[in-house]
Amino acid sequence: MSLFKDPVLLAAALGMSLPFLSMAIILIFTRHNQRLSATISLSAVLTSFTCALYLFITLHAAGAPVQYTTTWLIADDMVVAYGYLFDPLSLLMLMIVATIASLVQIYSLGYMAGDPGFSRYYAFQSLFAWAMMNMVIAPNMLQLFIFWELVGLASYLLIGFYFEKQSASQAGKKAFVMTRFGDLGFFLGLIILFLGFGNLGILDIHHAAQTHALPGYLITLSAVLIFGGVIGKSAQFPLLTWLPDAMEGPTPVSALLHSATMVAAGVYMFSRIFPFFAASPDAMSMALTIGTITMLLASTMAMVTYDLKQVWAYSTVSQLGFMVMGLAAGGYYAGVFHLTTHAGFKALLFLCSGIFIHEYHTNDMRVIGKKGGRTLTIPMVCMTVGALALSGIFPFSGFFSKEAILGVLGNYPNKIFLIAGLVGALMTAYYSFRLIFFILFPKGGIEKHDAHHEEGHGHGHEEHGGEHHGYIFWCMAVPVMLLAGLTLVLGFFEAPFEHFIMSGQAAEVHHAAAVHGAAAHDAAAAAAHEGGHGGGHLVLLILAVSCAVGGILFSWFEFGKKGAAQEGFLAKFPKISELFAQRWYMDAFLRKALDTAVYCGLTSTFTRNDRRIIDGGIDGICKFTIGSGRLFSFLQSGMLQYNLLIMIGAVGLVVIYFLV
Amino acid sequence: MNTLGTYLVIAAVLFSLGLLGVLQRRNLIGMLISVELMLNGANINFMAFNRFLAPEPAVGQIVTLFVMGLAAAEAAIGLSIILALFRTMRSINVERAQQLRG
Amino acid sequence: MNLSVGTETIAQMAFWIVVGIALGGAALAVFPRNILYNVLGLAMGLAGVAGIYLYLGSFFIAMMQLLIYVGAICIAIVFAIMLSRPLHLEVPKRKVPKVAMAVLASAIFMVAMIMMALKTKWVPAVERSTDWSIDTIGHLLLTRYDMVFEVISLVLLVAIIGAILTAGYSRRLTS
Repeated sequence: MSLFKDPVLLAAALGMSLPFLSMAIILIFTRHNQRLSATISLSAVLTSFTCALYLFITLHAAGAPVQYTTTWLIADDMVVAYGYLFDPLSLLMLMIVATIASLVQIYSLGYMAGDPGFSRYYAFQSLFAWAMMNMVIAPNMLQLFIFWELVGLASYLLIGFYFEKQSASQAGKKAFVMTRFGDLGFFLGLIILFLGFGNLGILDIHHAAQTHALPGYLITLSAVLIFGGVIGKSAQFPLLTWLPDAMEGPTPVSALLHSATMVAAGVYMFSRIFPFFAASPDAMSMALTIGTITMLLASTMAMVTYDLKQVWAYSTVSQLGFMVMGLAAGGYYAGVFHLTTHAGFKALLFLCSGIFIHEYHTNDMRVIGKKGGRTLTIPMVCMTVGALALSGIFPFSGFFSKEAILGVLGNYPNKIFLIAGLVGALMTAYYSFRLIFFILFPKGGIEKHDAHHEEGHGHGHEEHGGEHHGYIFWCMAVPVMLLAGLTLVLGFFEAPFEHFIMSGQAAEVHHAAAVHGAAAHDAAAAAAHEGGHGGGHLVLLILAVSCAVGGILFSWFEFGKKGAAQEGFLAKFPKISELFAQRWYMDAFLRKALDTAVYCGLTSTFTRNDRRIIDGGIDGICKFTIGSGRLFSFLQSGMLQYNLLIMIGAVGLVVIYFLV
Repeated sequence: MNTLGTYLVIAAVLFSLGLLGVLQRRNLIGMLISVELMLNGANINFMAFNRFLAPEPAVGQIVTLFVMGLAAAEAAIGLSIILALFRTMRSINVERAQQLRG
Repeated sequence: MNLSVGTETIAQMAFWIVVGIALGGAALAVFPRNILYNVLGLAMGLAGVAGIYLYLGSFFIAMMQLLIYVGAICIAIVFAIMLSRPLHLEVPKRKVPKVAMAVLASAIFMVAMIMMALKTKWVPAVERSTDWSIDTIGHLLLTRYDMVFEVISLVLLVAIIGAILTAGYSRRLTS
């Protein structure tokens, strides 16, 4: 079999199918044995990680994309293929997914210890890892869509993991249904693209888009519809309210799915067929607008909430909007770079929050601060590192990626988006450090509890509660520290990173430029290239940094200072803070729309149809049968005159018939 | 108007009138009267064919004679049945006799 | 007075008068609700039919008709009417649907018969004898058709016995 002759293909196939096997084995056989299930799942995902690493090392210097496909379905002249596509973008994303999935699964050993659904949890984690990895290296849009939906399934299962809680299962449903709406647009876009183009292979789409093989309206229409999938999956406006509710799931799930990988799938898809989108300026400007609105909206919502995970959830939505802005303004490299760094520090932030939640059994940041959150050194330090990266402070990775995107926005003709980006950076710094200061400097100091806790506090530092120094502690601490370290150093790899990403893109772009000399593509590539460095825009650099630092100072003033009110300036405008807290009444609006459209409209129509037409129809048939029987029952009345009548009449008619 | 067709039409009309009576009357004796009319209609048919088509006129007359005899016998039995029915039903309304209902 | 009407036309007129009597009597036998009208109508109708038999060439059969039908059967029916006493009590209302359906059925049948009578091409026999005498009838009854003769006698006998039995059964039981 050629499968075993080619080590690359073998590694790919192995890595892509092992998590699925692990899920099947856990669900069917080893549900009762928690340790065995965890071992199986962990070994599967670590093997996938190894395979991903191997693939990355082997293929990262390949000049052109490497593709393996096999035929899955054949219908007439349409061939549906399954396979793997390895180019810089997919290899990078594969590494991100494998790394964070492995780290989160290790972390879950500690976090989920003792939970009755432990095996089920690991089964679903394997499901997610399998689906996400296969989606990332999909060679055609159909495979991408199939695994996109499977990722959504994994998300539903994991959000509703604590299914006994009503709010959790509702949140799972909400997530699935809202993303489904987006996927509807996605699928329609794919159908239109398929009907117009005949082929859903990604490399073919790139080629066609760059050689202007497709009519403009087709590209615009399908791009706008496909962007619907991005709106759904990456929680853009207007389908963003499912992500904060998705925090009902366990914290590692939030770290993996709803910060780093699944929600990034939308942005990934956008960048995957970036040449296709770039060929339609209308779609790009629509995406830019939506990304901007999302970013600003979500930042405002994060400023008023007291729930630890909700802040990071809103922050994720906002940063996804920021990524979409970057991509939609033409900054391919900038968007992808921010995707990578965001995966790292957002997972870090969630995992640290998970440690706090696991310790104090509450999500409220004020309570955590009061109970002595800052005495947990490792999570506190790492969370601060993450918050600094999020705010875009040198030397953390977030600084470099944010500068990249702001540079792209600066090159964009309409400067309003740049202003929006700067305002967003300000708000991001504000709300991140609001949270940090709530925990670091709780109002009124740390509460003194009973002697047991005081003894634990007395030790402080790493010796926090000697009894916690088991494997649970290290399972949770090690991934956190690894991610923090990554956040520290990733920024300095910007140049080779850019070269790596653009090599895949550049090959196609330069080819197109050489052939056509198309200005639009050149400008986009040039802008991306330039914006990636952020060079030549010293003013912009200073502006961005000052926005970030200003945000931190503002929140220090309001929350961190000794004797600060810890109220926030928004408390002075109760109406506005209520607006933000209610998510700009989006949930209420959707609920009302659902009530009128679906419940009053659709369900009442269908109920009436069922009762009157279907039931009534069947009743009518019964009545008709009985009635027609009654009609002829006079023949059985014992009156022979009637019988005679029928007989004579019939004979007469027959005779007439034969004579006429 | 001395054609076969005339007599046949007359016979048909007579027969139909008798048929109408049988189907519509509620009085048992009325039904019997109508049956007699029907028999007479048939008889006229026989005689008409006898007059215009038959090779031997005597045969037709014999047949007619027999029909008349049978009609007499039938009337006698019918009347006695009506009498017997009257004794049980106390009525000669045919719509009362519905014991074969169902 | 100069009667320019010949015997032919008189015969024709008389024919139609006889037909009228027959059909009128029949109508009288069917439509009115009073049973005595019906019986009288029957008698009249049957007398008319006897007249038609005359026109059809058979004096013998006309006499037999008057003898058997009018003389015996109608009288028997009158007897039966007189024996069923409370006949004046029962004149229930006519049911229109029943009457309508009966009219329809008999009309259809009449139309069928008339169409059949008029449309068929009646072929007379090749050799037609003209012997209308009563002698021949009697002769044939006792030679060629004596089986039929005996059978009808038997039928009449059975009918008489049956009539007596049916009519007198219950009285026999009680006595």
